[in-house]
Amino acid sequence: MSRFPISRRTVLKGIGTTLALPLLECMAPSQVTAAGKQQYPNRMAFLYVPNGKNMADWTPKQEGTDFELPLILEPLAKVQKDLCILTGLTADKARPNGDGGGDHARANAAFLTGCQPRKTDGADINVGQSVDQAAAERIGHLTRFPSLELGIDRGNTSGNCDSGYSCAYQSSISWRGPHTPTGKEVNPRLVFERLFGDASAGQSGDARARRDMYRRSILDFVQEDAAQLRSRVGATDRRKVDEYLTSVREIELRLSGKQWEPISPPTGMTKPDGVPKDYADHIRLMCDLMVLAFQGDLTRICTFAIANDGSNRSYPFIGVSEGHHELSHHGGNKDKQSKIAKINRFHVTQFAYLLEKLKSIPEGNGTLLDHAMIAYGSGISDGDRHNHDDLPIVLAGGGCGTVKPGRHIRYRIGTPLNNLWLSMLDRMGASVDRLGDSTASLKGLDEDV
Amino acid sequence: MPAELRYLLRLAGLLASGVVLWGGTVSWGGTGALAVDASHEQAFRQAVRPFLTQYCLGCHNDKQRKGELSLERYQDSSMALKERVLWEKVLENVQDGIMPPDDKPQPKTEEVASLRAWIEAHLSLPDANGHRNPGRVTIRRLNRTEYNNTIRDLFGINFRPADDFPSDDVGYGFDNIGDVLSLSPLLLEKYLAAAESVAAKGLAKDLEEDGPQTSTFDGRKLKSTLKGSGRSVVSLNSTGEAYVEFDFPKDGEYRVRIKAFGEQAGDEPARMTLRIGKNDEKTFDVTAEGDKPGTYETTVEAKEGERRVAAAFINDFYDPKNKDENRRDRNLIIMSLTIQGPLDRDGQVDVGKQRRILLAEPGKGGPQEAARKIFSLLARRAYRRPVTMAEVNRLVGFVDLALKQGESFEKGVELAVQAMLLSPHFLFRVELDGARSGSSSIEAIDDHQLACRLSYFLWSSMPDDELYRHASEGTLRKGSMLEQQARRMLADAKSQALVENFAGQWLQLRNLQLATPDRRLFRSFGGDLRTAMQRETEMFFAYIKNEDRSVLDFIDSDYTFLNERLAQHYGIKNVKGDEFRIVPLVDYQRGGILTQASVLTITSNPTRTSPVKRGKWILEQILGTPPPPPPPNAGELGEDEQAVLSGSLRQRMEQHRANATCASCHSRMDPLGFGLENYDATGAWRTSDGKFPIDASGELPDGNSFKGPAELKKVLLGKKDQFARAFTEKMLTYALGRGIEYYDRHAVDEIAAALDKDEYKFSRLIVEIVASEPFQYRRGRDINPGGKP
Repeated sequence: MSRFPISRRTVLKGIGTTLALPLLECMAPSQVTAAGKQQYPNRMAFLYVPNGKNMADWTPKQEGTDFELPLILEPLAKVQKDLCILTGLTADKARPNGDGGGDHARANAAFLTGCQPRKTDGADINVGQSVDQAAAERIGHLTRFPSLELGIDRGNTSGNCDSGYSCAYQSSISWRGPHTPTGKEVNPRLVFERLFGDASAGQSGDARARRDMYRRSILDFVQEDAAQLRSRVGATDRRKVDEYLTSVREIELRLSGKQWEPISPPTGMTKPDGVPKDYADHIRLMCDLMVLAFQGDLTRICTFAIANDGSNRSYPFIGVSEGHHELSHHGGNKDKQSKIAKINRFHVTQFAYLLEKLKSIPEGNGTLLDHAMIAYGSGISDGDRHNHDDLPIVLAGGGCGTVKPGRHIRYRIGTPLNNLWLSMLDRMGASVDRLGDSTASLKGLDEDV
Repeated sequence: MPAELRYLLRLAGLLASGVVLWGGTVSWGGTGALAVDASHEQAFRQAVRPFLTQYCLGCHNDKQRKGELSLERYQDSSMALKERVLWEKVLENVQDGIMPPDDKPQPKTEEVASLRAWIEAHLSLPDANGHRNPGRVTIRRLNRTEYNNTIRDLFGINFRPADDFPSDDVGYGFDNIGDVLSLSPLLLEKYLAAAESVAAKGLAKDLEEDGPQTSTFDGRKLKSTLKGSGRSVVSLNSTGEAYVEFDFPKDGEYRVRIKAFGEQAGDEPARMTLRIGKNDEKTFDVTAEGDKPGTYETTVEAKEGERRVAAAFINDFYDPKNKDENRRDRNLIIMSLTIQGPLDRDGQVDVGKQRRILLAEPGKGGPQEAARKIFSLLARRAYRRPVTMAEVNRLVGFVDLALKQGESFEKGVELAVQAMLLSPHFLFRVELDGARSGSSSIEAIDDHQLACRLSYFLWSSMPDDELYRHASEGTLRKGSMLEQQARRMLADAKSQALVENFAGQWLQLRNLQLATPDRRLFRSFGGDLRTAMQRETEMFFAYIKNEDRSVLDFIDSDYTFLNERLAQHYGIKNVKGDEFRIVPLVDYQRGGILTQASVLTITSNPTRTSPVKRGKWILEQILGTPPPPPPPNAGELGEDEQAVLSGSLRQRMEQHRANATCASCHSRMDPLGFGLENYDATGAWRTSDGKFPIDASGELPDGNSFKGPAELKKVLLGKKDQFARAFTEKMLTYALGRGIEYYDRHAVDEIAAALDKDEYKFSRLIVEIVASEPFQYRRGRDINPGGKP
């Protein structure tokens, strides 16, 4: 049996050292174009970090290609040439706009949707489709999994969430539709089982085909049940039944579409035991799984919430015992600000781990990172002011040559964050006219503005 | 006292004090519009409108919209009636003295009373049929706990497939709210996988007869110290053992069951000793004989690891001269030896009643007939209601499908079980409108739906056979049957679900797992203390439930549950050992949930206490009056070095409150939190915080003041009506799976009043909730009077 380097604190200790992931022994997801040139698919991921940043230590002083990485971004030094630091983007729908308190819930729910979450404790949850799901709807059928949703924190399991907003807003960045959060996996073992389960079941092609046939007839059966039920219930219930039907159809589509060969986990890798105790280990393990999913073309779309917004997690292992949220209301206190910067830098260190790993995997003449767009950021700028303009956002990767990285670009304050999402959709071949509060595709990613 | 009567008395009281009174009624008709009586309108003009003009519109007008609220447009009562929730908030703020602010002219008591009477009157008026709006619960998906429990009770297997499902989102403080429970493709994928593994495990269990934790060894698998093993039974013809080397998976309690009989001779029965390793655990008189073997069972403690488990024959006897040739030789025949475990130490839930899937085998009627037998019963139980023949036949179709594929009958049954478990009828708690349901009707939910509401409320699981039978036979609502059932279920071990799910969320206990007190400041905090804290509160809640104590014990009690670890943390002597036990409390430091370390820890920051969080917690969970969220840019405590040196946390917070915009809420929250300042961020008692002595005194906006936690609790006990209502609202939210709306006010009043009359007994609350209109009725599908869609 092979071991994937997972229960491997030893390796993880060497932060910053690139560890070569074993290559997936499967088809390279490339296509040969008519001109005989190999093409690799573009991938997109969105990483969310909570409670804003200590912006003074985040925003580079210089613009353009020649910029110094400030304290928080320093860990990204090795991949600086692969980054676009985007300054000035704004999530207007995270602002109260008449709804009062609740910035954390709003920031979380508005980040990828660009829609104003309806203020409700539950009766009528409503926000909008998020960028990843807009992409999944359009190009998700090209891969085994339309999209992958990862997280670290489970949703709140009790009590009240932020100021009259249902906890659903605060625990979900990915939304299938206005009423339905996509749900996320926080347990690496379950992600692994999802990605590679078929292969480990060791069934023959015939057995799998028969199993899928049975599954399809079961899905047919329950669709009929649901359709009947739908005709007998009132409007609110119908919405729930529709949600069910949509999910059934999606799974059915997956089963009746292209028959995917099971992909074996790379040699030298076993199933993770569960949730690592150590936060950094947990984040990195999720990053590893994301890389594998991209590498094996199991999906091209991923979201990863490194923590839910409003998180009050403490970081004693880097000398910060106070809760993150508590600290973020720093009131101008220098000591608190520097602790926030420490937390921010810790998160960025994990981000750097992901990028370096993507960069270590060759694909054609480039690397996996060249064929990806990894967005990283928060829906809050300064945690004390709770402002949602001038957001801390990084876009890493070359996007298959559609992004010209290695720059710090400053946009006019107020430029919708969703313009960035819109332009990423274009680059994925999943264009939409509008997404949330977008006004136009974001200029300047592939050229100097 | 019935609510109507109290309402009349209140009006009479107002009349005596010269407050305006009207005799109007309000009702709503089929259109959903409210028909407003002229005198109600008149009362609005005489009492409410002038009040608004004089005390509110100065700030809350269309121009200023202070606090993003304008009351200017409420010119008449029908306009006002459209937004009931808003008026409830208005009332709350005025009543609590938060509005108008102190520096503005204050209304007279009777003016407030008029406002209150008017608002309350129209918040709780019945329709023409005497029904109040009972609300309409959105179809509820089973949450993770309910899924696990339902599978457990359906098949008798305890393997918690839902632990791998994504979290259920929380709304109104609970994770069983129909509106909030969504269903993503990811979850459906998990449902599919769970259905497959549950069906497989369920059938495997049937085929092996017992659950996965049970190992049975028959004669072929047992070894014998004598000759002649390897047959279907082990015959011990002389002193010797039938044994097996068993690998106990972990330390714990195991049940050992031996099926045996004796070939009797002499004047005593065959004796059998159960040995584990070298220890004699128990000796049985095996009086059973070959025509009717006996089962001999006991529980044993066993250590992890491989050990010999033996049934020993210890009284061999041979009397070849006996006249009766059947009484010459005493032998012991061991048929099988079964080891079950480890048993759940808290073993509350007895899954023992094994639930089979394969209730019928293909016989003369062929596989279809057998499958029909199986699913007539199974689908009814899985869907928790009667099923039609058509529904059963559709499931039977899977047996046909499997057979056509050349697979077994069992495979077909397995597929049908999968389909059943993926069906919306299983995954959702469906409540259909009655056939005659009109758009404006309010009708009782049917008995099966009622049984489900009851079982998911008290057990987080499906109805059991007895409850189902009453629903089917139409006896559930007869006489006092519903109350009897509720009490029976409350007494059942399965009601532990209320502790884990209701209490875990009401008290926010589940957050304790996420608490991270700074280990440098709180050295004693570790995994075992965290567990102990949780256990105390759970046992405390369970005790109040099981012993049917007064719910006021939650506020203050003269007992709690401790083990040595936690007692040490509390500075209570003479509690030794890991076992938790009830401990009488003799001093004023502890008693009730507010002084339990669990609650005190989850309402603290990692490095210090947070009087604000504690105060907010009391307002939300105990008094039911959560403060509004802070305005953006509220500003924070000065915590730079100079500020910290200059005064205690309390002094700095008091400076913060000097700011008028903060004061209106913080004057409610902070004093409550200060009252608990004697407990540090992990709930240990203290008399100073650093160099500053603790000042645990406080004064509430209503004038009540106290010194220290004991007096704070007295003040709270003085508000027991308010607590009873707040607790009722939480429990009702949990019971219904929806948020509490203004139209529930009447039901909440009634339940709280009944609680008051019955010494605040826990069971009274449950029984009254079950008897209430929101629990038993539902609104026709299209009525939407003034509420949210």
